Amino acid sequence: MNRLVSLVSRARVRWLATPAALLLASTAASAQEVVDRWGPTPPASTYGPRFDSLFSLITTLIGISFLIVLVMLLVPCLRDNAKKGKKAHFDHGTSLHDKRFTAVVSVVVFIVLDAWVLVRAMGDLREAYWNVPAPDTPGIFKVEVLAQQWAWNFRTPGVDGELGTPDDVITINELTVPIGRPVVFNLTSKDVIHSLFLPDMRLKRDANPGAINVAWFEAAKSGDFDILCAELCGYAHYQMHGKLHVLPEADFPAWEKDASALALAAYDANDTEARWAWDWKE
Amino acid sequence: MSGDHIHPEPTSFLRKHVFSVDHKVIAKQFMWFGLFWLLIGGIMAMLIRWQLAYPGTPMPVFGKLFFSSTGGVIDPASYNTLFTMHGTIMIFLGLTPLMIGCFGNWCIPLMIGARDMIFPLLNMLSFWTVMLGGAVAFYSLFVPLGGSEAGWTGYPTLSTTVANQGTGETLWAVAVFLIGASSIMGGINYMTTVIRLRAPGMRWTDLPLTIWGLFFTAVLNVLFLPVIGSAMILLVLDRVFGTQFYVPASIMAGGGGGDPILYQHLFWIFGHPEVYILILPAWGIVSDLLSFFARKPAFAYRVTVGAMMAVTVLSAVVYGHHMFTTGLSAMLGESFMLLTMIISVPGEILFFNWLHTIWRGSLRMDTPMLFALSVIFVFGLGGLTGLYLATISTDIYLHDTYFVVGHFHLTMAASALFATFGAIYFWFPKMFGRKLNETLGKIHFWGSLVPLTIVFCTMFVSGYAGMPRRYYDHTSADYLKPLQHLNVTTSLAAFTLGIAQLVFAFNFIKSRWWGEKASENPWEVGTLEWTLPTPVPHYNFKEIPNVVCGPHEFSNPAIPDGKDWIYQTEPLAEQPA
Repeated sequence: MNRLVSLVSRARVRWLATPAALLLASTAASAQEVVDRWGPTPPASTYGPRFDSLFSLITTLIGISFLIVLVMLLVPCLRDNAKKGKKAHFDHGTSLHDKRFTAVVSVVVFIVLDAWVLVRAMGDLREAYWNVPAPDTPGIFKVEVLAQQWAWNFRTPGVDGELGTPDDVITINELTVPIGRPVVFNLTSKDVIHSLFLPDMRLKRDANPGAINVAWFEAAKSGDFDILCAELCGYAHYQMHGKLHVLPEADFPAWEKDASALALAAYDANDTEARWAWDWKE
Repeated sequence: MSGDHIHPEPTSFLRKHVFSVDHKVIAKQFMWFGLFWLLIGGIMAMLIRWQLAYPGTPMPVFGKLFFSSTGGVIDPASYNTLFTMHGTIMIFLGLTPLMIGCFGNWCIPLMIGARDMIFPLLNMLSFWTVMLGGAVAFYSLFVPLGGSEAGWTGYPTLSTTVANQGTGETLWAVAVFLIGASSIMGGINYMTTVIRLRAPGMRWTDLPLTIWGLFFTAVLNVLFLPVIGSAMILLVLDRVFGTQFYVPASIMAGGGGGDPILYQHLFWIFGHPEVYILILPAWGIVSDLLSFFARKPAFAYRVTVGAMMAVTVLSAVVYGHHMFTTGLSAMLGESFMLLTMIISVPGEILFFNWLHTIWRGSLRMDTPMLFALSVIFVFGLGGLTGLYLATISTDIYLHDTYFVVGHFHLTMAASALFATFGAIYFWFPKMFGRKLNETLGKIHFWGSLVPLTIVFCTMFVSGYAGMPRRYYDHTSADYLKPLQHLNVTTSLAAFTLGIAQLVFAFNFIKSRWWGEKASENPWEVGTLEWTLPTPVPHYNFKEIPNVVCGPHEFSNPAIPDGKDWIYQTEPLAEQPA
């Protein structure tokens, strides 16, 4: 910093400082504005706030890094313009001092930018995103997702709590889940690759044909949320969306009972097309 | 060595200008070819941006021209073809031929003091192969059922006959294969030329950094283009001959047993190095230009080369970060996350070396310098935002949103393009004997930098809000409707960016034939190509030069006569300690 101050004349510093302070203040204000007005909808899953918090941390870290780059870029641009008779400072950057600078900055970057974020991310993955509840965990709500061009087929267990039975609730583009219970997905596809995207839950997972993918979330808010397809799947990719209904604990059993009764009434043992349940994958 | 005797210049028009084996002619062929495709890809980008800002409304001028059957409205299938071909064209037919084809051919022999590439005939074959690839790609747009609609990544099973029966997709795969073959030929030639044909006295550490960038790119081309080639062969076999490499049993009557994820691995084993194939020459060019126009030696030359080498190696082992939502195992995912993040270390070293190069320099703000400086800004924005995407837990949400589109355009597209512009403005006087107009150059620069920043930074905002990419119409989902005005902003900035390129096109054409005559060394730079007369003779160097000095000895006190630069063939008064 001393070096910087001594190199930039005082007048130049004052000349730079005011706009820089204004720019900083307006950037901070507008960043908040951007998040409030156009940022993602507030997280609606239990692990959702982890995304928002890590995103903010990374924004701060790279914001500071970018600011350093910007200052080091603008100072020479404003200060070191070619003048007649003035030669550039001759320096190959091979001194011990320069090598130390490179080594120190590299270690700092690795620790601050990489290791810090990495440790946070691994924590999030192991405690949340990839910590998929085992199939025998009490209280989990299993959902089989069969994607196709261009719709989402959902199969939920119904009142008996077992998948692959006649009271399974099968829906298209509408998924109803209870709040406060881990919802565990088994995803696959009939045709091309799709990707289940629940922006409010901060969840995205590909549905690949020929394989079963696992994902989970637990809703922390009730309400209606969007389901989108995030992987290009053809002509009507942009129209492949549905609605996720998260019901309060009190309302869910009644809904499930009605839906299961309807499913039982319409059950046709000979309709093999409708029975696409598979062996649950952990 | 081939430099020991001079071949006479061919006299027939065909041999001289069309089927030439002269690297300078081939470089110019690559340049016109790349600029033509940049125009086509650019028009496609304008069409895409029109559709996203004003979905379903007829586009003026171009709409009537290309979509007359729908009254100028772009339909969803054509929209998919547009962004597929925009990506394919810009990467394989625009930037690659311009930066690697043109400047690889132009710079390597001239800057290392050789009379031509080591394999001139292979060089010509490389150009005509990419020409054929371009022709196939162009033709694929006009076959029944239209061009490829599976994205430039061409993921099966969307790109197999399960979802697309047309020949357009097959031709797309054939075109990518041909272009890849061309790049492999170029890569072998570049590598061998740099290794074998350096002028006497030119040590590896006397190479301009442009050559280092091109050399590393050539290595990556030779190693990884064969992988995309094999992926395309399997795709064509699946499409045409009914094999099922990518088609799983569950969706194909009578068996199958392939795996669409196999393609993703093959594609990204190539696809991630491809990003560095485009950016390494850009880094090299920028490292040189910053030194040339700051009149200061490139800061810590060896460290810069080492950082570029580290990135070259790392580029091969990070591809999994494109597949974090695919279903990789946890251990693989975490390994790829760590490896990807490590790239920030050589990346940061490059940045500080560039910034140190200009620090306390004597900056000449000519157009090539402006573009070189802007690469620091643009690549800074793009590179740093990569951290969100390398981090799996944030990538889960951001994957396949506009955030990714903003990120990769800033890194591999805008940075590579701006470095290429810098290179065009810089070497134009030696190529054509005239200077590009500086005033128009500055209009072009600011007209490009400002809108481009708005275009891709707005994409960060919309991606952060959750806007998925490759959507025909974002107003179709309730949750995206409030974000539509961001699309309008992006598009208006994109149109401005497009118009600014017309200034460049005008400047290029005008200066090529009617521009101000340039002196033989207008930038006062000491690398070997500037020791040559303009136009450069057929054989380049009458006498193979003897190199006695590094490429960046600017402002060295040991330079005689009060100059601040010295040719690489001139000795310094005394070697600095």
